[in-house]
Amino acid sequence: MKVVTGVVGNDVHVVANRLIDISLNQRGFEVFNLGVNTYLEEFIDAVVETDADVVLISSLNGEAEGWSRDLPVLKSKYSLKDVIFVIGGNLAVGEVKEEVIIPKFKSYGFDLVFHQVDLNEGLDRLESFAKERL
Amino acid sequence: MSLLQREREAILNNAYVDHFDFAEVESFIKSASKDLFISHRFKKQDKILVQPRGGFPTYDKVFKLYDEFKNAGVDILPLTIDSNTRLNDYASAQKMLRLSEENDVDMLNGYPLINHGYRTTRKMMVHFNTPVSLRHGTPDARLLVEIALASGIFEIEGGPITYLLPYSKNFPLDKAFIYWKYVEKVCAKYSELNEPINRESFGPLSATLQPPAIVIVIQIIEMLLSLEEGVKSFSVSFSQSGSFLQDIVTANVIKKLSRKYADQLGYSDAMINLVYHQWMGAFPRNKEHSESLITTSTVIAGLVGADKIITKTRDEAFGIPTKESNASAVSKVQYTLGILRALPQITDEEEEENLSREVDEILEAVFNDSADTLWRKVFNAIKKGHIEIPFSPHIINNNKVITVRDKKGNIRIYDKGDLPLSEKSFRFEREKLSVGDDKNALVDQIIKDIGIML
Repeated sequence: MKVVTGVVGNDVHVVANRLIDISLNQRGFEVFNLGVNTYLEEFIDAVVETDADVVLISSLNGEAEGWSRDLPVLKSKYSLKDVIFVIGGNLAVGEVKEEVIIPKFKSYGFDLVFHQVDLNEGLDRLESFAKERL
Repeated sequence: MSLLQREREAILNNAYVDHFDFAEVESFIKSASKDLFISHRFKKQDKILVQPRGGFPTYDKVFKLYDEFKNAGVDILPLTIDSNTRLNDYASAQKMLRLSEENDVDMLNGYPLINHGYRTTRKMMVHFNTPVSLRHGTPDARLLVEIALASGIFEIEGGPITYLLPYSKNFPLDKAFIYWKYVEKVCAKYSELNEPINRESFGPLSATLQPPAIVIVIQIIEMLLSLEEGVKSFSVSFSQSGSFLQDIVTANVIKKLSRKYADQLGYSDAMINLVYHQWMGAFPRNKEHSESLITTSTVIAGLVGADKIITKTRDEAFGIPTKESNASAVSKVQYTLGILRALPQITDEEEEENLSREVDEILEAVFNDSADTLWRKVFNAIKKGHIEIPFSPHIINNNKVITVRDKKGNIRIYDKGDLPLSEKSFRFEREKLSVGDDKNALVDQIIKDIGIML
């Protein structure tokens, strides 16, 4: 399974990005890592180019929401309905309730939303979600 | 007119520079007080020099910071440059400097040296008559270094690898080599006029589980790139690893091998110094704990025989420290160094032998590249993954090496990626590790190892 991953926006959290890369590789995914400081359009370009099954966006500095708003537009522009969209990390600054934040990001078009969820737990859930889809 | 001089004139003919007077700058450096040169201070070898970090947007705030540092007994003053200037964006720096001056709030995370200019900044340097070290993180530091030297700042930190790979995603590495070559040449040129200008490499790299072999390789390479342009005083550095043993082994090997390679390549007249950075990773939020961490690293700096220590503060976890907290760290470190008497000489032959072999193996592969100049060999080595920095954001970085701590806390290479290490060297690393092939356990272990001081 092919995964495009990266850190969205002007966010340089390279440690998290590298750990996601290592974990995905170890779980047998084929990883296309766009690294830190990646714009949303670049993720979409990479999906089209690589024919990826999953897009895993991470965000740690609180910029996630601003960038995610454009996702519905981009998703409808290309036919990406079979692609699994995942976002995880620190999805908001300050204290936010999961009941609020998860539906919000789902409305942007994400299938899985992980706010301050342990990396391995998030990837376990991604794997079972992908299995159900098949 | 020489090619270098023509390039210098082009660089200094910049809208943000108010007429650079080459002759005046040269005569200033020629007659500058010896006390401004860290290379001169290093020669005394009477103590480990203490240098904090710090820089504020306005002249007045830096002046007050220096006053505070001097009262705390500082040896070397820092001048940290703001991030707009680091990216050569002098227009934004100018705007933010004005706002900082008018509203008495810090709108920049450092001192915008280009905007202040060398005539103004020099007044402060001459007033304090203490060596100052330029701390930045700029891939194209040509203008910045010209202005720093003209201001009386005679130590320049950085290098084409250490100021690029840990900081930037896509600034071209080959350009960084060329721009730093200019810096080395200008430093070398001025070194003929008075005491030598000291260049310092930035050994902490990405400050996250860095294997000592890679740190030392990169330190030696940046040293050689500098010495080959005529620099006569160079500091190699590394940061606290989290393992007492590994710090001592790293120091012993870096001292031995930097001298060996410098001599081998015909630079035996160059002075090589060792700089130790207090813990550069995530700091505890508990301030008593961070004070204890600072004291512990001071003791290690003593044990490893550093020539200079760069300090952190108890407020590290919370952002840029106040001048008071910064100065209090200096005073504490000075006190600790003062009471460290009759330190033992520690060595570990087996560890040192393996680390030396690893460094030699990687450097041999670099030197064996078919390119015609050292920087091109190094450029190719990085492209091939013969050298890589774990946790670098740069697109050229190979991102294959995985490091993790062994049971005792030493950083070991779990996956060597494309590093040209022999079977023997790599086996030494892997044998120390108990992490098996459970994939999830490895990542959990890495996360724990990164946060080792929390």
